[in-house]
Amino acid sequence: MSLDAALETFYAEAKEHLESMEHILLQLDEGEYNDETLNDIFRSAHTIKGSAGIFALEHIVEFTHVIENVLDRARENEITIETKLVNLLFQCRDHIQALVKTSSEEFNDNISLQESGANLLTQLSPWINEQEPSSTQNEAEEKLPAINQENLTQQKCWHISLRLSSDCLKNGMDPISFITFLSGLGEIKHIETITDNFPSINNYDAETLYFAYEISLSTDADLATIENTFMFVQDDSDITILSPEATVDDYLALIDALPEDNQRLRDVFIKCGSLTEQTLAQAHKNKEEIEALNSKSQRDEVPPQPKALLETLKNSDLQQQKSTNERKSNKQIRIDSDRLDNLINLIGELVINQQRIDLLASTSKNPDLLEAVDDFEGFTEQIRDAALKLRMVQIGGIFQRFKRVVRDTAQELNKEIELHIEGAETELDRLMVEKLGDPLTHIIRNAMDHGLEPVEQRVSVGKQSTGQLKLAAYHEAGHVVIAISDDGKGIDIEVIRRKAIEKNIISAEMKLTDNELFHLIFHPGFSTASTVTNLSGRGVGMDVVKRNVESLQGSIEINSTLGKGSEFKIRLPLTLAIIDGFHVQSQDTHFIIPQTTITECIDLTSHQHIEGRHCIDLRGEMIPFLNISEIFMLNGQPNQKMPNKKSIPREELVIVQFGNDIAGIAVDRLYGEIQTVVKPLGPIFNSLKGIGGSTLLGNGDIAFILDIPQLIEMAINRDLSHRHLAN
Amino acid sequence: MSELLHQRDKKLSQQETRQFLTFTIGEEHFGMELHQTREILEYDGVTQVPLMPQFLSGVINLRGEVVPVIDLSVRLERKPIILHKRTCIIIVELHESSQHCVLGLLADSVNEVIEIPEQDIEDAPAFGAKIRPEFILGIAKKAETFIILLDAEKTLSPKELAHLVEAELK
Repeated sequence: MSLDAALETFYAEAKEHLESMEHILLQLDEGEYNDETLNDIFRSAHTIKGSAGIFALEHIVEFTHVIENVLDRARENEITIETKLVNLLFQCRDHIQALVKTSSEEFNDNISLQESGANLLTQLSPWINEQEPSSTQNEAEEKLPAINQENLTQQKCWHISLRLSSDCLKNGMDPISFITFLSGLGEIKHIETITDNFPSINNYDAETLYFAYEISLSTDADLATIENTFMFVQDDSDITILSPEATVDDYLALIDALPEDNQRLRDVFIKCGSLTEQTLAQAHKNKEEIEALNSKSQRDEVPPQPKALLETLKNSDLQQQKSTNERKSNKQIRIDSDRLDNLINLIGELVINQQRIDLLASTSKNPDLLEAVDDFEGFTEQIRDAALKLRMVQIGGIFQRFKRVVRDTAQELNKEIELHIEGAETELDRLMVEKLGDPLTHIIRNAMDHGLEPVEQRVSVGKQSTGQLKLAAYHEAGHVVIAISDDGKGIDIEVIRRKAIEKNIISAEMKLTDNELFHLIFHPGFSTASTVTNLSGRGVGMDVVKRNVESLQGSIEINSTLGKGSEFKIRLPLTLAIIDGFHVQSQDTHFIIPQTTITECIDLTSHQHIEGRHCIDLRGEMIPFLNISEIFMLNGQPNQKMPNKKSIPREELVIVQFGNDIAGIAVDRLYGEIQTVVKPLGPIFNSLKGIGGSTLLGNGDIAFILDIPQLIEMAINRDLSHRHLAN
Repeated sequence: MSELLHQRDKKLSQQETRQFLTFTIGEEHFGMELHQTREILEYDGVTQVPLMPQFLSGVINLRGEVVPVIDLSVRLERKPIILHKRTCIIIVELHESSQHCVLGLLADSVNEVIEIPEQDIEDAPAFGAKIRPEFILGIAKKAETFIILLDAEKTLSPKELAHLVEAELK
């Protein structure tokens, strides 16, 4: 890890903390908070300040310090949480975000940023502790080494034993920065540097850290705060923090645990003031006594546990549960997404190879080989699923973002809007979650701008004054559905029709179903808003929304009742990388139908084919069907050209369902289930509808993955134009 | 002094040569800059992609990568290439605006790699080559035959190809 990489970590963590701050501020805004919530937000601010301090990002430290103080006062109940303060804190959070994005040099040149920061601080002044008007100055005073022997014994003294990783310097972490930061927390009473590991000059490497430190720190800060100082190095370092209440036994346990010579460490600890000769001697005596006791009563032998050490451990356990956000970094590993993608690609190749081996094995008819290959297939599938899971993230992260959007937009529009979130734990491919932000923002803004009415209007039609907006995610038949619904005025079909005719999108005579009319809003250049606001209604957007969703192999459905509200349903596949498919053939071309869309396969000839229409009668239901070879104009190889189109056997019909649409797909041959690794066809084929990508079959041949929603749409459009012609 | 420098510059530029992979389509000889070509494959069939314009022969499986194959002859507004035993596919790698793109080109035969000094590359004639002038990097002459040096970035621009596909689908 270079310094840049460490900085990257800082930015990533700062982002997370800012997100959590926003989340908590929203809770404060709703009045749903307790002491723990306040602690969490304080910790977030504190961690940002602390980490920024390590990288000497003074502009962040300075501003965040004040915020931290205000939050500290809030959690100590010295000030009350009121709307004015929360609004201000929202702005402050945004300002920190802006600061994090700005380097120190840029900040020095950026007058407006400096001014807005100063402005915010002035506004915050009623909540800033009067006793600490110029906090930085105060801190500087604290830093002055004023060792007072009397105080030493009375004040709380923490003992920190630092065994930083020897690669610490290579990772861009200077131990000095930690010590400097610690001195900001309180007063460093004593530092003892242990140089035992220092090698002979021939073996000396300037980039390796050979020193260990024993620090005695007097501070009011809690364990978590001190621990956080070492957040960036705690993974590969041995850091022991003993609370001021630690007993001699704890120190002795520590001395035993440390690699250095015990006698030498005792001396060091005595120098630090953490131990004294007397206490040590006393402890020795005690120990001997206990050992004597133990040897006497060996039955119920409970080794004397060092009390304070245990307490600190317990404490840290508690902290871990409490501030999950902060602790996440301990249990999670950050990896470069490229590496993950690379792994997924390799597993894709593995799946293809496994299928090839499967094919070869089945021709060999060697039972042992077949069995081995069978096992292999099972494991490949498990590896595939596990790897894909790595890329899955909870959709809640992106949902959270909208709380803020809704809050701000509602204020801007002067409407009362309440956002409900459901199914935040639903998982989705990370790649998709990233691309969902824009379309969701657009739909949500549209709902707030055009859907939900102003308060007076709502009250006059007998609705509750607060508009209800719901964001929900759930699984449905192998897909993830994201539904955005509101209880606003709904979409007026007549307005859409008028507008569409006006804009020459449809002709006045065209008869369209409600659903078809709803979908006109996705037409490029279509906008129903009579006034253009800066939120929506610029006529660009809904078509982009549709395109974005389609690029993720998804679809959008609209349900709306005039006066009652609207619902947008985005349906997405779970992942884009590998899907379970059904292998079929039409003419000479191989196709894959995504397994999740298939409801059944039937024999076409055995069902009543309604003459003259692309429909069949399936158990009394009329189902439209399309023939792959017709829709894709597959003529077979020239040498195999059929003299008469009707003689082509159209035997198999795959019934597929997507959302509410059911359709049949006529193919020549069914092969069976297959795991397919999706290979995008590339930008050249972007405008090709009905085919979502390609995949390689076990024998190396290329098959095309059918995009069922698009095919259904194509079938419907064709039907429409037929109807049009018939009219 | 400046004249001396100028002469030296001229001399230097004269020494610069560019390498081209030459191939034939029908009776014509073409060249493409060597650094843009990756490998040459024997033609072993392509998988046709439905509804594609004629210049897009299909796709092939290149060691797990699905690569589109272009009939350059159609792209250059000539008759489609006639497949035979020696037909091959030249794999071309383009880096258009940081977007990495791999394409295959159908050719009747691949000839050789030639080195052409910069000054021997002549500008494309304004007309008469029966090829859109922007596709041509220059013309070289080797053993009494003209070699049309193609600008791969322009001839095979994924953007333009995508537009052509879109137009065909409409």
